[in-house]
Amino acid sequence: MTTAGENSVTPVGLGDRLEVVPPPDLPRGNEREGWRRLISQPLPLICLLIVAAYVVTGVLSFFPFFERHINEPLGAQKTFAPPALHQTWQDGTVTIAPSRWLGLDFQGRSVLWRVLYGCRIALTITVCASVIAISIGVVLGLLAGYFGGWIDDLIIWLYSTVSSVPWLLLVIAMAYVIQNAQSIHAAEAPTGWRAFFGETPTVIFALGFTDWVGLCRLLRGEVLKLRDQDFVIAARAMGLNNGRIMLRHILPNTFHIVIITFSINAVSYVQVEVVLAFLGLGITSKPSWGRMIDDSKLEMLRGIWWELAAATFAIFVLCLALNLLGDALRDALDPRLRGTK
Amino acid sequence: MLTYIIHKLFLSIPILLGIVAITFVLFCVIAPDPARAYGGKFKSEAQMQALRVKLGTNVPRWQQFVNILTFRFPPSMRYNESVWVLFARKAPVSLAIQLPAFFIELGLQLAIALFVAVRRGSALDYGITFLAVLGMSVPALSLYIAFQWIFGGWLQWFPVAGWSPGFFYALHFAVLPIIATVLINLGGGARFYRTVTLEEINSDYVRTARAKGVPPREVLFTHVLGNVLIPVVTNTVVALPLLFTGALILEQLFQIPGFGNLLVEAIHTQDQPIVMAIVYITSIIYLLMLIVTDILYTVVDPRVTLK
Repeated sequence: MTTAGENSVTPVGLGDRLEVVPPPDLPRGNEREGWRRLISQPLPLICLLIVAAYVVTGVLSFFPFFERHINEPLGAQKTFAPPALHQTWQDGTVTIAPSRWLGLDFQGRSVLWRVLYGCRIALTITVCASVIAISIGVVLGLLAGYFGGWIDDLIIWLYSTVSSVPWLLLVIAMAYVIQNAQSIHAAEAPTGWRAFFGETPTVIFALGFTDWVGLCRLLRGEVLKLRDQDFVIAARAMGLNNGRIMLRHILPNTFHIVIITFSINAVSYVQVEVVLAFLGLGITSKPSWGRMIDDSKLEMLRGIWWELAAATFAIFVLCLALNLLGDALRDALDPRLRGTK
Repeated sequence: MLTYIIHKLFLSIPILLGIVAITFVLFCVIAPDPARAYGGKFKSEAQMQALRVKLGTNVPRWQQFVNILTFRFPPSMRYNESVWVLFARKAPVSLAIQLPAFFIELGLQLAIALFVAVRRGSALDYGITFLAVLGMSVPALSLYIAFQWIFGGWLQWFPVAGWSPGFFYALHFAVLPIIATVLINLGGGARFYRTVTLEEINSDYVRTARAKGVPPREVLFTHVLGNVLIPVVTNTVVALPLLFTGALILEQLFQIPGFGNLLVEAIHTQDQPIVMAIVYITSIIYLLMLIVTDILYTVVDPRVTLK
């Protein structure tokens, strides 16, 4: 534990200095190794870059100029147009028109801009819902695994109960109830942050408050294993309090589970947003991908396939990248989890 | 066995109460006044009160809790019928789509998993596994819309949407939804069972069987498949309540008057008793199915005994 020379006389019990020594054979070091292995392979690296591109687009679309493009019809007719590289103006000049690259939807709005704006909603939903779900899952998982006893029993009861309601049904019920509650209270048009976020919080809460179960269960199991390891016993022997042991010693060793769960959950968030949009419980005032696909079911009657294609492709590429990345993360960081879904 | 089941049922009581609590909190506490949501803003106070009586929200909270616990749901607002009558009418339609789809799906998933697992690491393995992930990444709604458009609208092989009682009429309408359901669920399951199969193939008993000269085909279909059935049972039984619910999107989009369609319409028309009853009953069935799973384990896996 101590190095040579004058440090060797450091008395055990000075706490802070000594406790940061990482446990010898646990994921800390392996994790860094795992990440290195991960990005040295081509496929995970490509997936990581794709996800990064989506995130960057999502962040960029928070800039105000996006808002102008998504709702403003192009052309006077307010009608749809198939994808085209160029635009011919009335005086005969032809210019390159990026707004028309993916066509115009049934109200003459640019599909390209709307798809890009969809990144923002997907990003907001995924990040916020994950933050909620992960916070609940981590806190409950840590408490249950670390303290055991009646706390454990209570938390097991809680997650068994929540997991007995089929997840999709619970999300739908939650979104339905929240939306109803809001519609009763909000007699007038939304203002302030409500107007800014639109219906996004409904989706976020519905997803976040229901999706902590899997993570909680996994974490509890992992913490149960870590709790009796030597480094935890050592930390306890030094007189550290429970909170500190949990946060500084146990939590960092379970981080790989959190990361893997996050990458896998993100896929289901994006997919469920489509279902919610279809049910009219999702985001209706802003062009989310689910909204676009839902719109396209009527557009298809008029042969407008490009909005469906664009939104589907956006979801498809993101989910594919996240699925493959999730697998790679699992293999690199924690191969034991492979059998779990 | 019987004592085990009774014991298990007793152990489920806290979870049952938990489910009641979730349903209660969602539909009686967070949703403040379903009558207002249903009736809109322009009803008089007397009309509101009538709606509240019908919805059962005029009684005190604890009474509402007990009502949920004892399966006494208010009648559907839209159909003005007991939810049970509606369920009895809608569930068979859902099952007519979901059961065939589920078994075709399961058969194909297992076939693909076994086929791929014995060729581990080959180009075929990577190709099919990649295809499975591709399938998992497509949003279901897009696939359904595209299918309707391609096979219903363009090629005109199948009707775009609709339903009709009578076996052959129903079959006529059911083929396309069944194919779509199978396709959308194929990838995830195939990949999951592949992982399971791989674990079994690499285990000792398989090596022993091979060493004593059992033909590879027999090893695969009796030894390996027998063990793969354990997670299959788990997944199947747990999926059953969801088969009743049907695929929400699918039934609405293909206009199949089933359970899922009922739920979607209930959401659109603010028919809260139905939403509440479906959430509650499905959860209860799920809870019972978990006990059934335990019993089925003893059938599939002789090592398991219930005590």
